[in-house]
Amino acid sequence: MDENNPIIFKVQRYDPEHDGIPHFQEFMVPSSRYMTVLDGLLYIKENLDSSLAFRTSCRMAICGSCGMLINNYPHLACHTQIEEFHSDTLTVKPLPNLPIIKDLVVDLIPFFNTHKSIKPYILRQDAGEMGNPTAEYAQEPHALEAFLQFTYCIKCGICISACPTSASDRLFLGPQALSQCYRYCADNRDGGEKERFPVVDSDHGVWHCHLAGACSEACPKGVDPALAIQLLKRRMVSRAVALGKKQQPSSTAPSPAETKPKLPFPEFTVK
Amino acid sequence: MRNTYLWFLQLITGILIAVLLGIHMALMHLDVILGFFGVDATKATSWESMIERSNQGIWAGLYIALLAVVLYHALNGLRKVILELTPSARAERVTTWVIVAFGIVTFVWCSYVPIALLSA
Amino acid sequence: MRQIQPRRNYLGAVGWLWAGNYKVERYLYILHRVTGLGILLFLLLHLIMTTVFRIQGQDVWETTMAVLHNPWFKIGEYLVVIAFAYHALNGLRLILQELGFLMVRPAPSIYPYRDSLRKKRSWTMAMIAVVVILALVFFYDLVAGGW
Repeated sequence: MDENNPIIFKVQRYDPEHDGIPHFQEFMVPSSRYMTVLDGLLYIKENLDSSLAFRTSCRMAICGSCGMLINNYPHLACHTQIEEFHSDTLTVKPLPNLPIIKDLVVDLIPFFNTHKSIKPYILRQDAGEMGNPTAEYAQEPHALEAFLQFTYCIKCGICISACPTSASDRLFLGPQALSQCYRYCADNRDGGEKERFPVVDSDHGVWHCHLAGACSEACPKGVDPALAIQLLKRRMVSRAVALGKKQQPSSTAPSPAETKPKLPFPEFTVK
Repeated sequence: MRNTYLWFLQLITGILIAVLLGIHMALMHLDVILGFFGVDATKATSWESMIERSNQGIWAGLYIALLAVVLYHALNGLRKVILELTPSARAERVTTWVIVAFGIVTFVWCSYVPIALLSA
Repeated sequence: MRQIQPRRNYLGAVGWLWAGNYKVERYLYILHRVTGLGILLFLLLHLIMTTVFRIQGQDVWETTMAVLHNPWFKIGEYLVVIAFAYHALNGLRLILQELGFLMVRPAPSIYPYRDSLRKKRSWTMAMIAVVVILALVFFYDLVAGGW
C-alpha cells in the first residue's frame, strides 16, 4: 500500500448533459496507510479529472453528505479506509434507490420531503408555553434514554439504499422517516401521536417493513432504525387494541427553588 | 388505524395457522412417528378415511376454520407483496377488490363442499 | 439554470433478492416471502383437489391419488412441508421481534456498532436449528413410511 502500488478506483460516471448512460471510469490513485475513500476521490478530483461530482463536507462522519456504494455495500466515504477492503480495486457507485443527479451525487429532496411528512418536531397542545417559554420541559435521564439512540441520525440516506422495500416501493416512507417518527413519539415532551399515526399507518407506511434489518446493519452511526420501527409498531398495535395508557406529555420543569433542598451553609474553617 | 388492525389480524391468523396447519401436516405426513405414540394416521388420504372424516362435524368445522385463517393470511400477504411493487392508485384499488372477491368466492365454495358432504 | 431531470435509480424487485453484501437476516426476509407465495400456489392446487376432484367420486379420487404417488410429487410435497416449517417458525420469530419482545433496549451505541438483530442472532440461529430438525423429522417419515 504505497506509491508503487496504486489502487484502481472504478467510479460510476453519469453526465446528464452529454451522455444518457451511466458507465464506469477507472482511475489509478496512489494510496497510503489510513487513506480513506474520500481522500482517493479528492485526489481524483484534484489531479486526474476535475469533472467528477460527489458530495463531501465534514470528512468526519457527522454531516451525512458522502454516502456511496463502495464495493457493493453502502458506506460513508470519509469513514471508510481503503485498507479495510484488502483489494486493489474499489468500485464506487452512487447510493441506489435515490435518483442520480450526476456521477456520485444523488437527489435527496424526495428523502427530505418524506422526513418532513412525519412531522419531525415536538407537537404539543400548549401553544402559549411553546410560543413564550417560561421554563424547560421536564425530562428525566431514563426518559431520555428511551429515544436518545435514534437522535443520532445524520440523514445520510444509507438506510434507504439498504432497505429491500425501498428498492421497489416508491411511496414507502423508508427506515429513516419511520425511525424519526418513533423518536418523536417516544419523546416524553411530545404529544403528537395522533397526528403522526395516520401518516405512518397508510398503505405504504410502517406495515411494509418486514424486518430485513439491512438498514440497521448498514447505518454508519449505529442508530438501529429497525429497532425504532419495531418499537413504533408495538406502540401502534397497543394503541389500536387499547392496551397500555398513553402518557401525557411532560409539563414544564419546576424551578430549582422547589426541587433542590436548601443545604445548610457549612461552618467556616478559619475563625 | 385500518392497516394496523389488518396487520394485527395477520399475526393472530399466523399463530392459529401454525397450530391448525401443524396438526394437519402431522396427521398427513407423520404417520410413522405418530404410530410410535399410538395414533393411527396411516392411509389418511385414502377414500375410506376421507369418507369417515366427511361424516364428522368436528372435521368439517376444523377444515373451515383452517380455510378461513389461511385465506385471510395468504391473501393479505399477497396484497402486500403486490402493493410493494407500487402500482398506480387505480391498480391498487383493482388489486384489492380482486383479492377480496377471490377470497370470498373461494371461501364460500370451499366451505360449501364439506358442509354438503356432511349431510350427504 | 437549466433543470436536469434526475435519473431513476431504483433497484426494483431485484433489490429484494440482492442489493449488496448484507448479512443473513436480509435474506431470511426474502425466503419468508418466497415460501409464503409458494405455499399460496400449493394451496390453490390443494383446494381444487379437495373440492372439485373430491366431489366427483371415488374413481376420480383414486386415479388422482395414484398419479400423486409419483416420487417427484412426494418430493414436491416435502418441499411444501419444509416451506411451511420455515415460514411458521420464522413467522413466530418475526411476531416476537416486530412487537419488540426479542429486541434490545434502546441505548446509545458504542463503536463498533452491533444492531439489535445481530445482538439477538442466537435466537435466529435457534429458530433455524428447529427448522432443520423438523426437516429431518419429516424426511425420516417420508422415507420410513414408503415414498
